[in-house]
Formats: sequence, C-alpha cells, structure tokens
Amino acid sequence: MGLEEKLPSGILLTNVERIVNYTRANSLWPATFGLACCAIEMMASGGPRHDMARFGMEVFRASPRQADLMIVAGRVSNKMAPVLRRIYDQMSDPKWVLSMGVCATSGGMFNNYALVQGVDHVVPVDMYVPGCPPRPEMLLDGILKLHEKIKHETFAEQGARA
Amino acid sequence: MSHVTPVPGTSPSVGAQLPTTTTGVAGRSALSLDDIAQRITVRFPAVRAEQAFGELTLHVEPDDLLEVVTFCRDDDELSCELLSDLSGVHWPAGEHTIARQTSTTGWPDYRVSREQGVVEVLYILRSVSRNHHFRISAGTVDTSPRLPSVTGVYPTANFHEREVYDFFGVEFDGHPDLTRILMPDDWVGHPHRKDYPLGGIDIPYKNDKFIPPPHERDLREVID
Amino acid sequence: MAIDPTAAHTATPAATPPATAADLDDDIYVEGADWESVVDAVSDDHITVNMGPQHPSTHGVLRLVLDLDGETVTRLTPIVGYLHTGIEKNTEVRTWVQGTTFVTRMDYLSPFFNEAAFCLATEKLLGIEVPERAEVVRVILLEFNRIASHLVWLATGGMELGSTTVMEFGFREREHVLDLFEAQSGLRMNHAYIRPGGLAQDVTDDFLERSAALVDLLTERMRDYEDLLVENPIWHARLKNVGHIDADTCLRLGVTGPVLRAAGVPWDLRKAQPYSGYERYEFEVPTRTEGDSFARFLIRLEEMRQSMHIIRQALELLPGGPVMVDDKRIAWPSQQSLGADGIGNDPDYIRHIMGESMEALINHFKLVTQGFTVPPGQVYVPVESPRGELGYAVTSIGTNKPYRVHVRAPSFVNLQAADVMARGQGVADVVVVVASLDPVMGDVDR
Ligand code: SF4
Repeated sequence: MGLEEKLPSGILLTNVERIVNYTRANSLWPATFGLACCAIEMMASGGPRHDMARFGMEVFRASPRQADLMIVAGRVSNKMAPVLRRIYDQMSDPKWVLSMGVCATSGGMFNNYALVQGVDHVVPVDMYVPGCPPRPEMLLDGILKLHEKIKHETFAEQGARA
Repeated sequence: MSHVTPVPGTSPSVGAQLPTTTTGVAGRSALSLDDIAQRITVRFPAVRAEQAFGELTLHVEPDDLLEVVTFCRDDDELSCELLSDLSGVHWPAGEHTIARQTSTTGWPDYRVSREQGVVEVLYILRSVSRNHHFRISAGTVDTSPRLPSVTGVYPTANFHEREVYDFFGVEFDGHPDLTRILMPDDWVGHPHRKDYPLGGIDIPYKNDKFIPPPHERDLREVID
Repeated sequence: MAIDPTAAHTATPAATPPATAADLDDDIYVEGADWESVVDAVSDDHITVNMGPQHPSTHGVLRLVLDLDGETVTRLTPIVGYLHTGIEKNTEVRTWVQGTTFVTRMDYLSPFFNEAAFCLATEKLLGIEVPERAEVVRVILLEFNRIASHLVWLATGGMELGSTTVMEFGFREREHVLDLFEAQSGLRMNHAYIRPGGLAQDVTDDFLERSAALVDLLTERMRDYEDLLVENPIWHARLKNVGHIDADTCLRLGVTGPVLRAAGVPWDLRKAQPYSGYERYEFEVPTRTEGDSFARFLIRLEEMRQSMHIIRQALELLPGGPVMVDDKRIAWPSQQSLGADGIGNDPDYIRHIMGESMEALINHFKLVTQGFTVPPGQVYVPVESPRGELGYAVTSIGTNKPYRVHVRAPSFVNLQAADVMARGQGVADVVVVVASLDPVMGDVDR
C-alpha cells in the first residue's frame, strides 16, 4: 500500500494522515476508462466549459500505473469485465473507483445478458454518480465528494480497503 | 482471421461508372421494384417476390443464394455494388399466439404454428450507381442453421455474417473466419434467438473477487 | 513506438487464433517489461502487438491487433464487442415508444439519428405521416447533431494527434449545440425526443432565435478551424496520404459516409432517397478524389458547412401547427407543457379524463401502459448519419413490441476497412486511420 505499511502500528498519526490525505485528494489523477455515452460527458467535464483542471485532475492518464482514480464511465459488458478488473489490478495503491452513470452502477436500463449488472461486482466502488448520463456538474460533484471522503479516511481504513 | 482482404477481380469495377456530379445519384435511373422482381424471377423461377410497405423482398432457397446474389451484383441492370445490410430473424417452432392486444390500435391476433423453427437471414442489396435497393431473404432451419457465405461476392459480409453467427448460430459455409464477434469467445448460446432469455445469466464476478467460471479459466491463463 | 504500456502484457491475444500453422511457430509470448528479450527472440522483426481495448487513442474500447514488420503494419485486426449492450434484444421486450429510449443510446454521438431512423421505420410500418412542423424540427436537430458529432470527431481526432487546442475548440462549440438540445428535449445526450409520430413535445418559443444565433456562432467558429488546420503543415504531414482507400474498395467493404465521399463517390442518402423532407432543401454533397485522411477531414468540414446551410433554410421554412400526428391511437393524448409551477400537468386535460370521459381515461391508460400495436411486416429504413448509412431493419408481428430490431451500424461496417487502410503504414498512422474512420464504439457493438 505504500506509506502506511512502513509505519509502526498503534501510533497516532492524525496530522500525518491529514497532510497525506490532503495531497492525495488534491492531485487525484484519473485513469481514462471511457466506455460509452458517459465517457463523452466525462470528456466534456475535462473540456473548456466545465474544466476539471480546477480541481487538479485534468491529467487523464492512459497508463493505469500512473493513475489513482478509475472513473468507470459507462456500461461494462461481460466481455469488458475481465479487462476492467485487470486494469484495476494494475493501478498502484492507494486507488479509488468512481462509478459514473446508472449503467456502471447497476446495469441501468439494460437489464440483459450482455452487461455486468453493476461494476461493483468486479471492482470495489467508492462513489456512485447517478444519471444517464450524469451532467458534467454531477460528475464534478461526485469527484468533490470523493475528495472529501479521501481527506477523512484514516490509514487504517485505507489499509482495510486495499 | 477477421481481417478483410478485398478479393481482386471478384466484383465489377464500379468506379468507372460512378458519376462525378454532386447530385448524389448516378445518371442511370433506378429500376422500379416490379422491374427488379421480374428481372430476377425470369432468371431464377424459384425465387418468390413479395412487395410490402414499398419494399421488395425476394425469397430465395439457400441453394440458390450465391447464384442470385452474384447475379444481382454482376447484372448490368441491377448492378448492386453494395451489400447494405445482413441481419437475422429467428422464428421458433411450435404454436405461438399473442392474443389481440387490448391496446388502442387493434390489429389482428398473432397466431402461427410452425413445425420447424427458422432463422431467416435478410440481405439488403443496394445499387449506388442506379439508386435502388431490395431485400433477399433466405431461411434455414434453426436446429442446425447453415447458409452459404456471401463473403466471396461481397467482402463486407465478413463482419455481418460473424454477427449473425454470434447471435443466431448460423454457420456460413465458406466464411474465412467464422468466430464470435460481439460476445466473448467462450460464450455459450446465441443470445438473439427467441429461445434465449433476455437476461438471467449468472454474473460470474462476485464480491469484487475475480473468480472466473471454469470455462473461462484457460483463457485467463493464456493472457497472463 | 506508440504502444500502450499495458499492452505488452497481452502481446499475443489469446482470443485471436493465429492465421496459419506457420504463424503459430513464430509466436512469442511476451510478459511485462521484457522488451529486450522480445527483440532478441524475434529474428525477422515480425511482431504482433495488441492495442487496446483500453487505449487512449482508440476511440473508446476498440481493440486492434497489429502485425508489424518493424514499424510497418502488415495486418490490422479489429476486435470489437467490448461494449456490446444487447440493445437490439432489449427493444424486443419494450413498446415501440420505449424503443426510442434504447436506440438513442447506441451511437451516442448522434443520438437523434438513431431516434429518427427508428421512428421512420415505425412510421413506415404504421403508414403514418408526421406533421410538417415535426419534420422540419427533426431536420434542424439532425443537422445540428451532425455538426456536434463532427465536432467531437475533430476534438478526439485532434487530441489523438496531440493537438489539445483542437480538442478544446471542438468541445467548446459542442457545448453550445448541447445547450440547444437540452432546452428542447431536457437532456444533453440520449434525448428520446423524436417519437414515432412526431416529437415528444413542441420546441421552445425561443427555438428560432436560439438556433439562428447558434448557426451564426458556428459559422464564425468554423473559420477558426480552417485557419488553424487547413494549411497547417503538421496536420498535412500527419493526414495526407495516410489511410488511403479507393471507391471500389469502399463499396466492396460496404464503407459509406464521409469515407466513401472522400474517395469520390457522391453518395448521400439525403439526396438519393430523401426522407423527412430533405428534398426541399438545397445543399451539396461534397466529394474529394484523394481518398486519404486529409480528404476525409476536408469533407467533414464541408459537411458541417452544408448542415448549417440546411438549418438556415429549415429555420425559414419552419411552419406552425402540431408536432405529433393527429391520431389518438398513437399520439399521447395530452400535450403537456411545463407550467409556471414547474409541474408539467395540463389541468383542462386532467379534468376531462378524470371528470368527464371514462373512455378517454381508459384510452390514455392503455396508450401509456401498453402502447400501440404496429401492423406486421418488415421494413428497412436507412438514414445518412454522420458516419454513413445507418439502417434500421425492423420486423413487426402486429404486437405492441418490435419482434426484431436490427441496426446496420455504419461504424461497425466501416471498421472493416481499417485493415486495408492501415497496411503499409507506420504504427503511429494507425491512430490516424482509426480516427479518420470515426467509429463510435456504441454504434459498433450496440
Ligand atoms: S448511464 Fe446512460 S449515458 Fe451512461 S453509459 Fe449508460 S446509457 Fe450511456
């Protein structure tokens, strides 16, 4: 997991936690995982009007090794699920997953043979953004809430998640 | 492999006949549906022509399919350069009744009984130079569906036929690489057949642990 | 080499069996981070590289398997299906009106085209004509959608070539188009606004002014793209003579749309088989003869300009009147509009069905819960989408649900040409080839 493992257990680390989480939350690099319509809205959030750069996350990383947030934007098919899991495994810890849109969250309107009915069957999800597609504002809202969540996570919780 | 290599010399050169104007249609006029039907039925008496909704459908026996399609492509009058679409429809065997819908527009009951299920494959042939199109329909029993592949005539049929194989299980004889295209390679069943349920497939991934089902395991091993 | 670092793990895809037995002997399986050993092992520089399905420049989840001879592509195999959603099957269990909600999510860059084609097919089966106002509004929205789609193509294509400015330009203007869509349909994408029989509701009062202002804005901004790109030496170097394909090959491979027109064939369904009253508008079908990526770029620019031309004419033409067929068996009975209280009720209508007419209530109830039935038959309705011929082959058996909906997706068919176009080109050109085909994976995989 990184820093946390090097620390002896039982030591109170509130301030260290806060500063580490602060840096983590404010430079969250997403891995592009655009799958369908939602991906276009995700790209629009990076575009000039909504401008994700305001929150320190304009760098969409192509390589999962360099990313710590996976935005699953769109419908995950049974054919894609192993690939998705694989990319998730390749991301380095600590990592977070944001499920964007109802398709990624629950299969949405496509309750059928082709889709995984919710990406949380494949990877653990930290934040769900509803909508079909969620507006860029909603995505940004979800991301900001995730920032809050990261800022208040303790090392112990993060360790348990990994 | 799924790649397509256009086979040189298998289709007449259409480039030469194509217009250079921007009006979109060739100078040569389109044939009327009656003319098309006549031209084909004169040549192939076994073909049954049918018109509905302003569209022409030619019902062709599977054995004649290749010949008819090649004729449509090579014939100067028909000159169908483009295979626009190729799709399947499954008509399962047995009694099927859907009672008159208690809905606002009342069309009659749907009541059929078939001894044999049929997978109907529909080809839309289009002439770009003459601007007409029509449909060729070929049926095959759904228990062991099999049709000749038209990839030799229209290389574009490659993906289409793979799709119909994927969704309906139709084996196309002579296809260069008949594999699944949209579903995973190890998928069981042909999802767009009527006897395949819409959903209800167990999700093989549980509790964020990736446990591949047995039939998927060696695929994973090779990838790793 | 422009290879995704993650791709090294799956250098030889398990899913694609080697073509010949001879190939099999040559296969070398590659684990991560051992390129050195690959180079040592490969004597003749022949190598198979997997690109995608998760690769930044493959337009979504397209996977390409490249056979390389050094830097040169000797074969490109597209592998699709990673976004297969089963929409065609889903429409079979929903009513005809609900069908629009599904099909609009196929090609998510041009949702109106899917809706329009599906509705045209349904209307053909029903044998109804939509009111003129609905037709003109449809044309306006379709053409705006074509512009928006080409803008995204420009943006993503530019991004893939490393030009961030172009991407910002494309998305900037697209937002304006989406604003208009949102005002009319309530959604930025996936509108389900075009319905069998007309439109879901009438356009807003300021539709005319907004559209006219938007066309003016776009016309002005178009100049930016031209100034930036048409004479740009980098753009030329990347696009010219890359991904060449000629007209014969296009037709054999079923390629339609801008790619076919860039190869010199003036084939446009709006001209050839006019639908939705396209015969009323004056516009040109741009063609080029080069057949390379640059020609396709120019074609798309010109198409945007022609779309604006059509929109201007349509705005002048826009008649008054209803936007839904006057057939109580098909159209939803009440034309609801958003009231000042933010609730979309129609008090007079509610009084009518609740207090005065039991039959009207029953009719309303049936129409909303069960939908209408459609006469049995098969139709094939093509429209000219931004990517080519988008056809709906719809089969009805006379019930309130389609029996089978098959979509002839232009991206799916056009993708077959990627192999021909990429052969003999460098690895970096593969990105250009795919971008210039403009496949939308939602359209490919459906
Ligand atoms: S949630 Fe809606 S917009 Fe997002 S991928 Fe699914 S269908 Fe598309």
